[in-house]
Amino acid sequence: MIENFHEIMALWDKHLLTMRTIEHLEMFSIALTISVIIGVSVGVIIYIRPGIASPVLNFLNILETIPDLALLVILLPLLRLGTGPTIAASVIYSILPIARNTYTGLKGVDSKYIYVAEAIGLSPRDILLKVRIPMSLPLIAGGIRIALVFTMGVVTLGGLVAAGGLGTVLQNGIQLYEKDAILLAGLWTGILAVILDLGAGRIEKKLYKRYGTWQPQK
Amino acid sequence: MPTQRLFERIDSIELQQVSKKYGSRYAVESLDLTIEGGELLILIGPSGSGKTTTLRMINRMIGPDTGSIRINGQDVMQLDPVRLRRNMGYVIQNIGLFPHMTIGENVGLVPKLEGWDEKRTNARVRHLLDFVSLPPERFIKRYPRQLSGGQQQRVGLARALVMDPPLLLMDEPFGALDPILRTQLQEEFLEIKKEIGRTIVFITHDIEEAFRLGDRIAIMDNARLVQVGAPEDLIFDPVNELVADIVDTKRKFKHMDTLNVKDLMTPLDAKYILNGGVDACDAVEIMKDREIEIGIVFEKGMLAGKVEMVNLLKCEDDRPFLRDIAKPMKVFALRDSVATALSEMKRSGEYVAMVMDGDTVGGMLVSDEVLLKLI
Ligand SMILES: Nc1ncnc2c1ncn2[C@@H]1O[C@H](COP(=O)(O)OP(=O)(O)OP(=O)(O)O)[C@@H](O)[C@H]1O
Ligand SMILES: [Mg+2]
Repeated sequence: MIENFHEIMALWDKHLLTMRTIEHLEMFSIALTISVIIGVSVGVIIYIRPGIASPVLNFLNILETIPDLALLVILLPLLRLGTGPTIAASVIYSILPIARNTYTGLKGVDSKYIYVAEAIGLSPRDILLKVRIPMSLPLIAGGIRIALVFTMGVVTLGGLVAAGGLGTVLQNGIQLYEKDAILLAGLWTGILAVILDLGAGRIEKKLYKRYGTWQPQK
Repeated sequence: MPTQRLFERIDSIELQQVSKKYGSRYAVESLDLTIEGGELLILIGPSGSGKTTTLRMINRMIGPDTGSIRINGQDVMQLDPVRLRRNMGYVIQNIGLFPHMTIGENVGLVPKLEGWDEKRTNARVRHLLDFVSLPPERFIKRYPRQLSGGQQQRVGLARALVMDPPLLLMDEPFGALDPILRTQLQEEFLEIKKEIGRTIVFITHDIEEAFRLGDRIAIMDNARLVQVGAPEDLIFDPVNELVADIVDTKRKFKHMDTLNVKDLMTPLDAKYILNGGVDACDAVEIMKDREIEIGIVFEKGMLAGKVEMVNLLKCEDDRPFLRDIAKPMKVFALRDSVATALSEMKRSGEYVAMVMDGDTVGGMLVSDEVLLKLI
């Protein structure tokens, strides 16, 4: 048992897993932050201009169907090797779930609240900021949670294009056929993803309790 | 963003030849109506007769197709809608408190948007919660879902009053409440009306409510205004069958002489029963859960009297037992005449009395329900 533990720690240090984890989480946070900013903005914009909603969502849907490996490779000539294409690919995948949920949330706010908001003298801008957006937060969080899973996957794949992070350990392990390294890094990546998703799930649940009045439109 | 006040008081609201069509049907047709400053005008009439549409044209939520609406001589269509609406209070049946904001945030929303500082907003919110009998220290931080229907309705009223508007628009504000709660809130509202002296336009389906609250009553039917006047004008000089039907009080008072309390009482619902050994603060929670505003207190199986939620809210000082603070209430026997019972209740300003069959409870006599049963 103890021996095993020492072996694992040796393997961990040999493959610089602490540093790789930090790299991994760094890329992950940057990618997810950008995705949230762009995704929510796109959601709000297509809500304000409903005419462009359907073409924009269709376009994002098309991007979504490109296999992730292909997308990474396509981005290489533009952004060269490393973190650039990895983050870009994560963002491209993550905009759709966030934008779509934002848009659905904003549109789906029960009309009785909008009616009251107008009647007591809220301007359209106040209604968006004080009523629609807060009431859509649970749904937006749901979209971000989907994006989180996408981002975790793409960032791991980034090891193939020398982006660093835990994918690099997996990549090296495969090339040198080090079974133990593959197993350790794979398991660790999986655990990280599960922890992050659990955390996001809890936040989402909290938001539902606080703001959860969203109902599908009749 | 602060908006400038449009008017400090209402001299008049004039609707001239106002029409609004949806498709080929009129929701409101050629409406001529002048609302005097300081009066409470009731709008009453069958469902779909155009009451809500009329109200929503006053605050510009709906623009009339033709005709004009002037407040103090200014055409509302020329005014900025946001500014206009912040100058009037609006209360609706399903209240519509924002579920993601606390009571304090709900009431303080418009002041905040007007750029008031924290301190001023907070002071105003507290003052208003007090005004509607909700002790601020206990309610300001709660969320709407933690309040009973009656309490939420009070918050709705506080929110409508927050900018101190000279005009209040109310669309069936008490319509969703049970009869006793409704009567209670009407009583309180009458007090508020006296204190604030605002102009109020009030929609209801309930003719008793209309008589109780209204200075004048406007009857609408099928998109048109049928008659407007003081209650006695409508009773003694109805212009048509519909008005006579809506206000006909003669008939109901005529055969009231022959009826007994027994015929018109309501069974005592167990939810109104409270034990004399409960203390006032616990009673408030119990009453909130049961959505009641009035409780009938029994001590060892004997009637001890009644308690009202408004009087219990300030319970924290000495937490008295209900048996010690229950107020005596009128008691009638099954065979007492309804007419006598009602006039006795009216004289002492009570709207609910107990009916006893010897030592056992026979039921309750609720004045409004009696009148409604007679219509
Ligand atoms: N947005 C709308 N679109 C189409 N028709 C409408 C609309 N709003 C109201 N109407 C119609 O206009 C008429 C008047 O409606 P309004 O809501 O003013 O009636 P009301 O007197 O308030 O009725 P209630 O007592 O049921 O609330 C009704 O026939 C209603 O169906
Ligand atoms: Mg209506």
